[in-house]
Amino acid sequence: MPNADDIAIIGWNVSPMVRHTDKTEAQMLLEVCSGAVEHAGITRAEIDFTCAGSCDYVAGQAFSFVQNIDALGAWPPKRDSHVEMDGAWAMYEAWLRLQIGDIDTALVMGSGRSSTADPTLIYPMEMDPYYLAPLGTDATSFAALQARALIESGKVTERQMAEIAARTRRDGKDSAYAQVTGDFDVDALLAEEYVNAPLRRHDLPPITDGACAVVIARADRARELCDNPVFITGFAHCTEAHYPGVRSLTESPSITLAAKAAGVDEGPIEVAEIQAAYTHEEPLIVEALGLGADTLVNPSGGPQAANPIMATGLVRVTEAARQIRDLGKSRTLAHSTSGPCLQQNLVCVLEGDVK
Amino acid sequence: MSEVREMTIQFPYKRSLGPVVGAFMTALTEQRILGIRNGEQVICPPIEWDPATGNELAHDFVDVGPAGTVESWSWVAKPSEQHPLDHPFAFALIKLDGATTSILHAVDAGSIDAMSTGMRVAPRWKGTRVGHITDIDAFVPGEASEVAGDDTGPAAEPVEMMDYNASIAYTLPVTANELRAEQANVEGRFLGLKCPKCARLYTGGRGFCPIDAIELGPADEVDLPQKGVITNYTIIEPVPYPGQTMTEPFARVMVLLDGADIVLGYQPTIDLAVTDLHIGIRVEAVWASDAELDDLASTAEGRLLGWIPTGEPDVTDPDLVNRIY
Amino acid sequence: MSHQPCAIVGIGQTHHKKARRDVSFAGLVREAAQRALDDAQMTWTDIDAVVVGKAPDLFEGVMKPELYLSDALGATGKPMFRVHTAGSVGGTTGIVASHHVETGRFERVLAVAFEKQSEGNAQFALGSGKSGSLGAGGAFAPYMRSYIARSGAPLDIGPMVAVKDRLNGCKNEYAHLKLKDIDLDTVKASPMLWEPVRFLESCPSSDGACAAIFTNQAGGEAAAKAGRQPAWILGSAVRSEPSTFPGRDPVRPQGAVDCAWDVYGQAGITNPREQIDCAELYVPFSWYEPMWLEAHDIAEPGEGWKMTERGDTALGGSFPVNMSGGVLSSNPIGASGLLRFTEAALQVRGMAGEHQVEGAKVALAQAYGAAAQYFSMWVVSNSLDPFGS
Repeated sequence: MPNADDIAIIGWNVSPMVRHTDKTEAQMLLEVCSGAVEHAGITRAEIDFTCAGSCDYVAGQAFSFVQNIDALGAWPPKRDSHVEMDGAWAMYEAWLRLQIGDIDTALVMGSGRSSTADPTLIYPMEMDPYYLAPLGTDATSFAALQARALIESGKVTERQMAEIAARTRRDGKDSAYAQVTGDFDVDALLAEEYVNAPLRRHDLPPITDGACAVVIARADRARELCDNPVFITGFAHCTEAHYPGVRSLTESPSITLAAKAAGVDEGPIEVAEIQAAYTHEEPLIVEALGLGADTLVNPSGGPQAANPIMATGLVRVTEAARQIRDLGKSRTLAHSTSGPCLQQNLVCVLEGDVK
Repeated sequence: MSEVREMTIQFPYKRSLGPVVGAFMTALTEQRILGIRNGEQVICPPIEWDPATGNELAHDFVDVGPAGTVESWSWVAKPSEQHPLDHPFAFALIKLDGATTSILHAVDAGSIDAMSTGMRVAPRWKGTRVGHITDIDAFVPGEASEVAGDDTGPAAEPVEMMDYNASIAYTLPVTANELRAEQANVEGRFLGLKCPKCARLYTGGRGFCPIDAIELGPADEVDLPQKGVITNYTIIEPVPYPGQTMTEPFARVMVLLDGADIVLGYQPTIDLAVTDLHIGIRVEAVWASDAELDDLASTAEGRLLGWIPTGEPDVTDPDLVNRIY
Repeated sequence: MSHQPCAIVGIGQTHHKKARRDVSFAGLVREAAQRALDDAQMTWTDIDAVVVGKAPDLFEGVMKPELYLSDALGATGKPMFRVHTAGSVGGTTGIVASHHVETGRFERVLAVAFEKQSEGNAQFALGSGKSGSLGAGGAFAPYMRSYIARSGAPLDIGPMVAVKDRLNGCKNEYAHLKLKDIDLDTVKASPMLWEPVRFLESCPSSDGACAAIFTNQAGGEAAAKAGRQPAWILGSAVRSEPSTFPGRDPVRPQGAVDCAWDVYGQAGITNPREQIDCAELYVPFSWYEPMWLEAHDIAEPGEGWKMTERGDTALGGSFPVNMSGGVLSSNPIGASGLLRFTEAALQVRGMAGEHQVEGAKVALAQAYGAAAQYFSMWVVSNSLDPFGS
C-alpha cells in the first residue's frame, strides 16, 4: 500500500527502439527527457535532481555521460549524478535522494547505442580481468552455460524457450517500443541452427539503440501533478559472487533476496516486466521472484523484443508503470539485471494510488 | 543510415596479479592448476576472499586436476577474435578433480557431438607458457594432459604481471548536423547554430542548446565569421602513448569570432610559433586548397588548417583572457 | 521522509603509489576497505550496502568493475552500487553512501573509491585513445591563465601552493609524493608542462583506494561512547553544469558557487571563512587553490591568492587547505574525491596524525570533475551542532 513517504512515478518517455540509430546518445536523451517531463506535466526547470545510467564502453568514449548533460537543460546548475549502470539503478539513486525530503522531483534516464560495436567484444571486459576477460567470455556464452544447466536440471526445455521467444515477439506486436516482433512458429524456430548451443538466434535479445526517461516525485507533489501517480512501494537490489563457477546457475539467490526486501510477496503481482534478455532466464527469474502462474510476464515483449542496454531495466519500469496507469492494474513489478548469469539484480514493486 | 565514422579503442593494459592470482599463474607455467582452500571447499581458480563472507583466505593452495568433469557447456559456433580458439569450440564449466567449484575454460572437442555434461576433460598446455589463463590452450576430452608443441618449461621467476590487449572497434553514425557542418567546412565555411530561444551561438556539429535543451537544426544555421582574436590558449608537451602522433610542443588557442558571441575552443594555429603566442593576436581561418586536401596534417579540422595571424594590431582588452567559452 | 544524521565511523586508504604492482585490482580496493572496517571495529558481515566509485573504466580496461569486485568487498547478498561523475566521483560516492543511511533504509554502508591507473595510461584514457590528447592540465591551463589575469596574482602563488601541499604530504604516511626538499626555486626550475603550470605544480598519477564507513545516529553515538570520535555530516551537495555555452565562466563556475552555498546552508554556515576550520579541496594543479577559495566564497574575488601568499592556507595558518598534501601529492583519480572527503573527516575526528589541524571542529571537502562542471562537497564536524543554535 502506498504511504505518505512513498515516491511515485509521474511520467515517462521511451525512445523508438531500433537496430541502428542515426542519433547521438545525447539526442536520444534530449527527446526522452522532453517527453518525460511533458508526460509528467512539468518543465525541466522544476526538476530538482537528475540521474543518468550509461556506460563509457558501450558509448566508445571516456566520460561519455558528460555530453549527455546537454539533454538536461542543466542551467542553472542542477543537482545531478550518474551511475555506470542501467537507468533502473539511476532511478534507485534518485529514489533514495528524494527520501531525504528536501527536494520533490527527479528525472532519471538510461541510454545506450549497442549497435556501434560488437557486444561479443565489449562484454568480456566486464568479467574477471585475470580469469575470464582474457578468454573473451561474452554474455551469450555465459547465458548458454546457464541455459544448459537449467535444461539439464529439468527447469526448462528448448521447446519452452522457443515458446517464450514466440510469445514475447508476438506480444511485442502491440507495443510501440518493440523492435523485433512477429508471429513465429515454435517448430520452425527449433529447426534453426544453434548460435551458441543450447541457444539459438531466437533465444537471444536483439541489438538495440534506445533511451528512456522517467520522472519521479515525492507523494504529495506527485498527487498535485498527476491524477494517477504510480507508487514505488518496494525497491531493492542485490548482488552475488562474480565468478559463475562458484555459483549455482540454476538458482538466483540475489533475485530472491531483492524480491523479499522489496516486499514482492506482500501482495499479488499482476504483471512482471523482467529483464530476461535470454529466453531461459524467464522461468529462472520468475521462480526466484516467487511469482505464480497468474502473473503476466513481459506483455511488452520484454528485452526479447527490444534490448537497449543501459536502458532496458528502466524501460521495464515504464512498462510496469504503464500497466497501472493506463491499463488498470493495481500491483506490478519491474526487474533489471547486470553481470554474467544474472549476477546482480534489482526489483521494483509498483502500486496504484489508494483512492 | 547516412555516414559513419570508424574508431578503435585499443590499449595494451598491464595488470599486476597480487599473491593469489600470481601463484595460480606461476603454477600454470609449471603445468599445475591450483585451487585455494576455504574450509571444506577448494575454490579453483583461486580467489583472495571467501565469496560468501568476504573474509580473507589463507594462502592454502591445493593442486587440483589436471583432469576434471564438465558441469555445463555451450558451443561457440562462430568464435570471435577474442576467443581462445579460432574454430568452433565449447566454453565449459569444469570441476577439476579435488576442486569444489568449477573453472571456466574452452574445450576443444572438435564437434558439438563430442560434448556432454559429465564428460571427462584434461588440459592441453601450450608449449610456451607465460603465466596467463591461456597457458592452458584448451581442455580436451579424456583423462590425460597434453602439451602442444615443444615444452619450454616453467617460468624462470614467479609471475607477477599479465598483459591484456583490449581492442574494440566502433562504428559511430555521423549526425545530420555534423554532416552539414563538415560539408560547410569543405566549402570553406564555418557553420554555426543560433538557438531560437536564447540566441546563443554554437558550432555547427553540436546540435543542441544545452541551456534550453532544444535541438538545433537547419533552420537555425548561420555562417560564422572567419576572423577573430585569440583570447586564451594552451601549450602541450606531448606524452607518448599508443595512438599518439604528436612529438613537438603544440598550441591550441581559443578564438573569439568578430561580431559573433562565440568562442571556438582548442583550435590549431598556422605560422605562429609557440614562443610568439599571446592573447590579443588577430587571426583568420586558413583553409586547405583542393590540392592540399589529400595531404592534410592530423591537426587539421576537416578542411580548416588552422588560424593564422592577420598582421593587424593586437586587440588590447583585459577581459579577453576570460573568454574561454 | 527523513533526513537522519549520518556519521563516518571508519576510514581507510592505501599507500598511494605510482604503481601498486604488489596487489591485484581487488587487492588494492580491499586494502582500503579493510582498514576502514578495522577503524570502525566492524567486520564484513556488519555492512548492509556497498557503494563503489571510480573514474572512466578506460583507465584500467575493466568495464563495470563492481561486478568483479563483489567478492572482494563482501557484497554477496547485499546491494552494490557504482557511481561515475568524472573527477568528482570520489565525493559523489561518499554522498550517495551517506544518503543510504540518511534515508533510514540502511544502517552501515561501505563506500569505496579507487583507481589502478598504472595498468593503463591516463592521458590515453582522457583522450579516449585518440592522438593529441590535451590531458587534464592542457584543458585547464586556459582557466588558470584567466584566473591569474583577472586576480592580478603574482606568478609565485602557484609554486607556493605546490611547495605547501608537497611538504604537507611528507606528514601523511599514505601520500604518494613525499618531496621533502621541494622549495620555490626547484618548482620554478621544473619544466613547463602546460603554461603556466610546471611539472612540479601538477598532480602525479597514482594507484590508490579510499574507503569510508557510514552509519546512523545510534551507530555514531555508540562509537563516540567507545572513544572513537565520529565525523558527523552537517551538509552535502552536488551540482552539474554544461561545459560549453557562450559566456560560461569556468574559473568561477556557477555550479561551484551554488554547490558551496547549498552545503553551507545545510550546515548553518553564513561566513565560511570564519566558521570553517580547514578544507580539503580538489587541487590537481597549483592555481586551483586560490581559484576554489574564491569560487566557494571563502575569499572575496581576487583575494584568494592573498590567503595563500600570507600563509593562511598552510598547516599552521588560519585556514589550512589540503593538510593531507591533497591531489598534488596523491591522485588516484577515482579516489581523490573521497580522499578529500575522508581527510576532512579525519581532521574533525582528531585522527590526522602529523597533519592534524589543532582543534579542528568543522571541515569542508570538495571534489570537481570534467571541465570544472561537476561538483560534490560536504561539511563535517565532530558535533551535530558546532555553532550552538
